[in-house]
Amino acid sequence: MPNSKQDTIEHFQPLSLPIFHMLLALSEGERHGYALKREILKRTQGQINLASGALYGSINKMLKDEFIAESEERPDPHLDDERRRYYRITPLGRRALQAEAVRLRHLVRLAEARIELPELA
Amino acid sequence: MPNRGKIYSWLLKLYPAGFREEYQAPMERHFQDEYRDASSRGARLLLWLTAIADVALSAPAEMVRELRQDLAHAFRVYRRRAVSSVMAVVALAFAIGAGTGVFSVLSALLLRSLPFSNPEQLVELRNSPFGPMKGRAAFTEWRHQSLYLQDAAAFSLDDANLMYGRDALRIKVAETSANFFRLLGVAPVIGRTFSPDEDATGHSGVAVISHALWQQSYGGSRGAVGAVLHIDGIPLTVIGVAPARFDYPGKVNVWTPTVFDFETIPKRGAFLFQTVGRLKDALSVGKASQMFDAEIQHVTPALLTGEQQNRASLISLQDQLSGQVRRAGWVMFGMIFLILLTACANVAQLLLSRTTDRRRELAVRAALGAGRARLIQQLIVEASALTVTAAALGLLVAYWIGNLASSVAPPALATQTYTVLDWRVLGFAATLAVLMGVVFGVVPALLVGRLQPSGEILRAQSVAGTRRARAVLVTLQAGLTLILVVSSITMGRTFLERLRSDLGFQTAHVVTLNLSLEGTRYHGGPAEWRYYSAALDRLRAVPGVEAAGAVSYLPLANNFYAASSFQLDSGQTVKPVVMNATMPGYFQAIGTGFLAGHDFGHDGIIVNAAFAESAGLGNAILGRKVKAPWTKTPYLIVGVVNTARDPGFAEIYWPVEEEPPAALTLVARVQGQAEAYLARCRDAVRAADPEVPVYDVLTLDQRLSSQLARPRFFTTATLFLAALALLLAAVGIYGMAANSVAQRTQEMGIRMALGASYRRIRIMLLRETALPIAWGLAFGIAGAIASGRFLEHLLENAQPAQPEIFLAAAGLLLFIGLSACWAASARVLAIEPALAVRNE
Repeated sequence: MPNSKQDTIEHFQPLSLPIFHMLLALSEGERHGYALKREILKRTQGQINLASGALYGSINKMLKDEFIAESEERPDPHLDDERRRYYRITPLGRRALQAEAVRLRHLVRLAEARIELPELA
Repeated sequence: MPNRGKIYSWLLKLYPAGFREEYQAPMERHFQDEYRDASSRGARLLLWLTAIADVALSAPAEMVRELRQDLAHAFRVYRRRAVSSVMAVVALAFAIGAGTGVFSVLSALLLRSLPFSNPEQLVELRNSPFGPMKGRAAFTEWRHQSLYLQDAAAFSLDDANLMYGRDALRIKVAETSANFFRLLGVAPVIGRTFSPDEDATGHSGVAVISHALWQQSYGGSRGAVGAVLHIDGIPLTVIGVAPARFDYPGKVNVWTPTVFDFETIPKRGAFLFQTVGRLKDALSVGKASQMFDAEIQHVTPALLTGEQQNRASLISLQDQLSGQVRRAGWVMFGMIFLILLTACANVAQLLLSRTTDRRRELAVRAALGAGRARLIQQLIVEASALTVTAAALGLLVAYWIGNLASSVAPPALATQTYTVLDWRVLGFAATLAVLMGVVFGVVPALLVGRLQPSGEILRAQSVAGTRRARAVLVTLQAGLTLILVVSSITMGRTFLERLRSDLGFQTAHVVTLNLSLEGTRYHGGPAEWRYYSAALDRLRAVPGVEAAGAVSYLPLANNFYAASSFQLDSGQTVKPVVMNATMPGYFQAIGTGFLAGHDFGHDGIIVNAAFAESAGLGNAILGRKVKAPWTKTPYLIVGVVNTARDPGFAEIYWPVEEEPPAALTLVARVQGQAEAYLARCRDAVRAADPEVPVYDVLTLDQRLSSQLARPRFFTTATLFLAALALLLAAVGIYGMAANSVAQRTQEMGIRMALGASYRRIRIMLLRETALPIAWGLAFGIAGAIASGRFLEHLLENAQPAQPEIFLAAAGLLLFIGLSACWAASARVLAIEPALAVRNE
């Protein structure tokens, strides 16, 4: 069906903040859960600190929505723990991330046209 | 001390099975990493607190998500077998609803708190010699000196006339001691209750009215306090209004502090009082009862012997108020519990079959990574969906049963309403639903065995396990059903015999009306007889009335006194005797035939057959003279009538004109439907004097129905439950037999291919079907005999079950099972052996 994926993406908007950040982090490469949490913590200067239940709940949801998939590639065994699960972003997930970023950009521009926004630090 | 990893693993068990199977390992690793990176003790403590809060917040959300998935799957599974699923739900709904309905009755009577403060301390002293008969001072001294009671109050309950405008109402009045409300811990909504001196003679011209009477007569106005009402013509000033739904000792509208005051409200007839007390702190009812018995032993030892109902005893007020309904309620509860087990057996069979049929699906899911816990969780959710739906529907059945019980056996107090909207009742239904959901989900899963993709091990284990389980379920169903059917037929026969027995009078086409002259201008004077005559004449003048008379106690009344003793001129003494004031025309109106002699003329009395037999004279008693203990004048016996009271008391009917009683029941035989004459007869009698209350205007059939309502209800209910159990057992046994045979299609194909005859295979199947049923019937016969003994002990007039009843019920169940097996085997044996061998 033409545009069915696009229609599907709109169905998932707006993305929650944790999911947006997780997709953003995964867009740069595969990561396991703890690494995702640390990346988001650093990126947001400690503002978003995902506990493991919330983190894996979101991962579970993204897996079902096919935004991410489990990665078959793993590091060398001597560096790895088999309990860790690695995830990668899917093409659908990337499009969902882009669509959400566009939506947020549109909101920012709307705000900039009407009110004065302070400069970012 | 378990290490932190184990503790965290335990915490993760709060997540649902599916989530745990996927993410437990990475979450444990995640926690290990976080713990390693926590640099201080404070940071590690914060980590633990965060982990606990995280589980508390995210576990319920995951639980809900998986529950939605499992419910959607359950719906798809049940839709594939819609008919059997609906039957299972309906069967369970009836069983759960019936159980919940009876529980709502028992909860109202036994578990719910009474409308008093600290009701567990309240006791009733039955047949106590310590009452108002010895005077106020003696009662006060006794209650102050009691070793086991903080305080005690006395009261007496009676009917009285309340003048309401120009009309009169018949209401219940409780005459009490002044401390009645204080003892019970009940405060008025407006005004006050009695002060300590107000039960002294001459001080007791006050009354507290019920909330219902306050609303009805005074519109809920505060002006009711200070108003004057007339009870049996006696003016009383209203000083307060009782709280809503307070009507102790039972449907009381007015309370007066006159139990010791024999002048303000004269006590007529035998004055029956009751004593209620509050135990001293920390004293148990058992201990207080022993102390009470010791006190009675010292004062009146004879009161500790004799029949139970005449013996002095101390019991908790809760037990007293639950009364006979409690006993019957527990019997019903027992029967419904058996029904519940039978319904459960049916549902268990359904789910067992379904789980067995789905073993391939479950094995494939296991191969794809679904853990055992996840699959068991799903089976529990599927089963719970069934049981919770049944419980929700069952609440409707419970509501209906509560309403039915209220009409048949209403509770003593207004606060003891039977309702399903009570947390105990709802909790009971919910607990049943959840428990059954877990059992029905877990047991089939365990019986299916280890969920391996390799079919042979799986099939062999599961088929053997399910066959054993089915046999046990069928044994259970057959046994329980037999117990239920035999018990209910026994109870039904007892009731039917009671209906068939000759009452000694005819109930069809008879109108009855009660009159009371208490407190009217006629009471106690010569005008009493003139009023009764005038009222009866007006009744006889109603078009369609064929005969009319009057009597003190109808044959169905249970408020008569049977204490007098009469001596015949030939020397015999008859006692106890019911003395019944009667007006001419009564026997013709009520259809009681004369065995000898005739109705009243201007003199003479009439006796019943029980009196004549008790005197040893039979109809030869006609013409004899009999003397009452309070008079020297002998009365000539002019007639002997059938005995019309159950049990058959000796009875004397004497003319009302001799000594008119304060109350009478008018009786009229009419042409056509008696219901059509009720209003006409009432209006005709009221026209004699509107200030005299005419109440309980009913046909005699309605009075009999009312009296038989309770045994009819219980009999109907037990027959219904037995029929339900029979239906459930039939469906269950049929299903078991059919499934068993269908599951062995391949085996039978092999046997036929190897040369076994149809006849031989059939006999084998019939034998294997009959065996669990036979075991069930054996256990059922033993159970039915035991329950029969229990019912004889518990219920009046219950008769032992006859052997033919056992045989009939057992034969029916066996026939159903064998028929099902025969039909199912016919279908299988019709298949070509080659096809049957390939069938799975």
